[in-house]
Amino acid sequence: MSHQESQKLDNVNPLETRVEDVIERGDNDFLDDNHDQDEHSESSQSHQAVDESDSSEDEVAPRNTIGDVPLEWYKDEKHIGYDIAGRKITKKERRDKLDSFLASADDSKNWRKIYDEYNDEEVELTKEEIKHIRRLLKGKAPHAEFDPYAPYVDWFKWDDAKHPLSNAPEPKRRFIPSKWESKKVVEYVRAIRKGLIKFDQPKEEPRFYRLWGDDSSSADRTKHLAYIPPPKPKLPGHEESYNPSLEYIPTQEEINSYQLLYEEDRPKFIPKKFTSFRSIPAYENAIKDSFERCLDLYLCPRVRKKRINIDPESLKPKLPRRNDLRPYPSTCYLEYRGHEGAVLSISVEPSGQWIASGSKDGTVRIWEVETGRCLRVWEIGEAVQLVAWNPLPELPVLAASVGADVLILNTGFGNEEEQKRVKELLHIGTPTSDDSDDMSSFLSWIQDEKYDCIRLRHYRTVSSIEWHRKGDYLSTVMPAGESRAILIHQLSKRLTQRLPFKLHGLPVSSVFHPTRSIFFVATKKNVRVYDLLKQKLIKKLETQLREVSSIAVHPAGDNLIVGSKEGKLCWFDMDLSSKPYKTLKCHPKDITKVAFHRSYPLFASCSDDCTAYIFHGMVYADLNQNPLIVPLEILRGHTSYDGRGVMDCKFHPRQPWLFTAGADSSIKLYCH
Amino acid sequence: MEIERETNEGNSRRIQVRFITKLKAPYKVPTTAIAIPSDLSRLGLSSIVNKLLQAVDSEWKTEPFDFLIDGELVRMSLEQFLLVKGISAEKILEIEYIRAVAPRKEEEPSPHDDWVSAVDGSSPRFILTGCYDSLGRIWKQAGWCTHILEGHSGAISSVRIINSEGAGSVTVATASKDRTLRLWKFDAEDSTDHPARIRAFKILRGHNASVHSIAAKTSGDMICSGSWDCTINLWRTNDTDTNGDAVSIKKRKVNNKIEESQSEGEAVSTLVGHTQCVSSVVWPQQDTIYSASWDHSVRKWDVETGKDLSDIFCGKALNCIDIGGEGLALIAAGGSDPVLRIWDPRKPGTSAPVFQFSSHSSWISACKWHNTSPLHLLSSSYDGKVMLWDLRTAWPVSIIDTHKDKVLCADWWKGDCVVSGGVDAQLRISSDISIQ
Repeated sequence: MSHQESQKLDNVNPLETRVEDVIERGDNDFLDDNHDQDEHSESSQSHQAVDESDSSEDEVAPRNTIGDVPLEWYKDEKHIGYDIAGRKITKKERRDKLDSFLASADDSKNWRKIYDEYNDEEVELTKEEIKHIRRLLKGKAPHAEFDPYAPYVDWFKWDDAKHPLSNAPEPKRRFIPSKWESKKVVEYVRAIRKGLIKFDQPKEEPRFYRLWGDDSSSADRTKHLAYIPPPKPKLPGHEESYNPSLEYIPTQEEINSYQLLYEEDRPKFIPKKFTSFRSIPAYENAIKDSFERCLDLYLCPRVRKKRINIDPESLKPKLPRRNDLRPYPSTCYLEYRGHEGAVLSISVEPSGQWIASGSKDGTVRIWEVETGRCLRVWEIGEAVQLVAWNPLPELPVLAASVGADVLILNTGFGNEEEQKRVKELLHIGTPTSDDSDDMSSFLSWIQDEKYDCIRLRHYRTVSSIEWHRKGDYLSTVMPAGESRAILIHQLSKRLTQRLPFKLHGLPVSSVFHPTRSIFFVATKKNVRVYDLLKQKLIKKLETQLREVSSIAVHPAGDNLIVGSKEGKLCWFDMDLSSKPYKTLKCHPKDITKVAFHRSYPLFASCSDDCTAYIFHGMVYADLNQNPLIVPLEILRGHTSYDGRGVMDCKFHPRQPWLFTAGADSSIKLYCH
Repeated sequence: MEIERETNEGNSRRIQVRFITKLKAPYKVPTTAIAIPSDLSRLGLSSIVNKLLQAVDSEWKTEPFDFLIDGELVRMSLEQFLLVKGISAEKILEIEYIRAVAPRKEEEPSPHDDWVSAVDGSSPRFILTGCYDSLGRIWKQAGWCTHILEGHSGAISSVRIINSEGAGSVTVATASKDRTLRLWKFDAEDSTDHPARIRAFKILRGHNASVHSIAAKTSGDMICSGSWDCTINLWRTNDTDTNGDAVSIKKRKVNNKIEESQSEGEAVSTLVGHTQCVSSVVWPQQDTIYSASWDHSVRKWDVETGKDLSDIFCGKALNCIDIGGEGLALIAAGGSDPVLRIWDPRKPGTSAPVFQFSSHSSWISACKWHNTSPLHLLSSSYDGKVMLWDLRTAWPVSIIDTHKDKVLCADWWKGDCVVSGGVDAQLRISSDISIQ
């Protein structure tokens, strides 16, 4: 019986797939149409069917009796098995596909028919059977009327029961506290008191966290070691084959030539030919390779480096293009030749028609800017350190420093009236007109007959001359520590004043403010800003340089550039702070001079490395906007002489041109 | 070698050309079309034309020619030229030839004592030069100085011939760095071996700084001058009009005991507008003055009203200006860079130059249009070269580099000579330049 059951089930199994098909197909066209109608009638029918089925299944035994054997054994036979009587069951004639198709097309009930291979017959499923199958497929009980959730009926009647089911009395332990438990509790209590048992503290969340915390810390939090992948080997090609083509195999000469290469350039692998697979020797580097891999793993740093892929170009500040900042001096067209020694200083006449130059050969020369013609020469006889043209166009005098003397020369330009005034100005009746007695010890105004000029004799070499914008005052700086290191001379009254301030450090250079009564003094380390009217120190600018060499003030007066002997250039914005706004390190050697242009937003620095640098230095009227500094051009052309390069640079007052004075005894004009 | 060349020639393409010309009889070649190799440049074409001329006239002396295709001078190989211009090589090409604009003769230099700063060759009878030794000189021809103009106390910066039409006397003006202009009169015809020293008949004072440039009105009765004091002054040249001058004559006579009457003049009017040195002025028409300045502008002034009519901004400080071309319409100017720029003010809406010649390597010191030809001009530069330009090509037609240092001034003379002076203190004359 059980055997038959299983057989039956097994038989159904191959069918099931087809049944499923059938049902899927019939789902919509046939069954669903009259689903509701059938519900009742079928339920009644199925009642009978259920009753029948139990018996019928036993009654209808399978025709075939071969048992659970593969049917293909009978594939080639004429029969498919034996019936219960032992007679052969012959196979039915197979209908060809076309017939079966036509039959299925004709017969609307064909979809219910299933071919039973085991018994070699066609079975037509009844409606009820299909219903069962569908329910089984849905996972429900096969019979529709079976209710899995029927209310529970307690068949045992408790009402009249006098005794419980068990008559045993309640044990005592149900009423007294457990000794074992109390022991355990005591044990725990002790353990807790001793601190042997710790309770999990609720995890304290950090109150503050780093909103912009970098992700690299998350890598540290992971406990395990990071996986370090081995380097990816190259995929083998034809040359790695055990039997490569001939063209891959190097000749002996080539192999020999490898020896001439550097170790790292040699090919790692030399293709070889083997007659057969088994003649390949063991890989000779196996141990070495694995050792190296282990060494790599052992020695490699266990820190995962975050690689940031940022284009370094994008980190540069956005600067305007050089072409948009034109005009600026770029090409040298004119040269002023005639000096026989290094040109130490130049100065441009305020209208820009002439320049004056002082040289080591002891001459002061005046040149015509336009043609390069030397118009006038003064033979002083001693190296001329500095020249400075008076800023007033109607007062064409030139200050030149020769050693400890400052000469105020009459250039001879200007019309007759102006010449008369200049002559009067430069004439001192009595040479000792100084009234202050202490001053006369270190400064005297002397009439110089030879050049028809005034000679201001200082007590020490003058390192800087600067005219006040009104052309009457002249400041001279001597590198001395005393308070008489900086003198201000008044030309019209022939008076000399000391700067009533205490200087800390040796003064190097001094500049007048272009519009206000402010005076800048550069010492070797700092720049001090004095108010001459109120007679007090306004500000001290810390250059953070080793040795200041020159200083220049922006024509608006709020910005300052300072050049140093280590080749650094500092830009101070005096409204901003007392520290440099920008420090430019561009010259490899000493900066000798820095200069601002009077009207164009240009400044320049020249250095002993024979170059001059041109910068765009735009100062905006808007106080919120910082000055814009753009390096523009490197001007070359001077040659080094005696270790010195370009000694001085000055801008043309009206054109974007730069004059440079070189130690190679030439003056060059760079035009835009 | 010979074979190779032949095969090369065989490989190169051949072009059918016909040589035409506007030149007169001895320069005419038969106008039959001939096939020439396409890789010929000007030199090759010139030798072909010379060969053709030799075939006509066996005593023909070789002569350089220049070639025009569609109104443009050929300055590269023919093949390249056609390619660049997009001219078909299939048709018969008409090539017009002209005599090459180049000096064929170099005259003896005329030595000065100092730098030659100014030259004027507008009179065919003589050349006027100004020099840094504050003297002006009149040269009859190369090396023959007839007059020396004496009186300035500073270097002469500009000279101009005002009136050379008169049979006897010629009026010239000089400007100097001593802030004055002087007018001189002399007889061009009298010529002695020793140069005659003459004095100015009129001194024009009024500028506050050195005078840089003079220009004379075409009628000759007025001159204008540009100066470093940013102004342009207008002056009258006739000596016998205002009574104000008479006073000064007397004064002069009393004070200085000068036997010759030397009057002083004052500016008639002043044109103010430039912000920097007026480096060059020209007065091409009756009532317009053009001026170039270091403030990077070229301005056109109306003489009657003294108003500034139009500005052209160049971006560079300008040293020289000249008006020329067809109908005196083109403005040529050079300055503090090696580019000679030519503007056409008739062109509306733009102030960009129509031509830019940039073969020089330093500042341009002078530029002059040819008197008669509207296509030719010269420029001199601090690189020591004088270049002749033709508007039909971007390359210089000819380069005169006889000067040893900066050339400060240059001008045309007699229509076929170029006179130039410079830092080497020589006046050089390059002659026999054929310009039709």
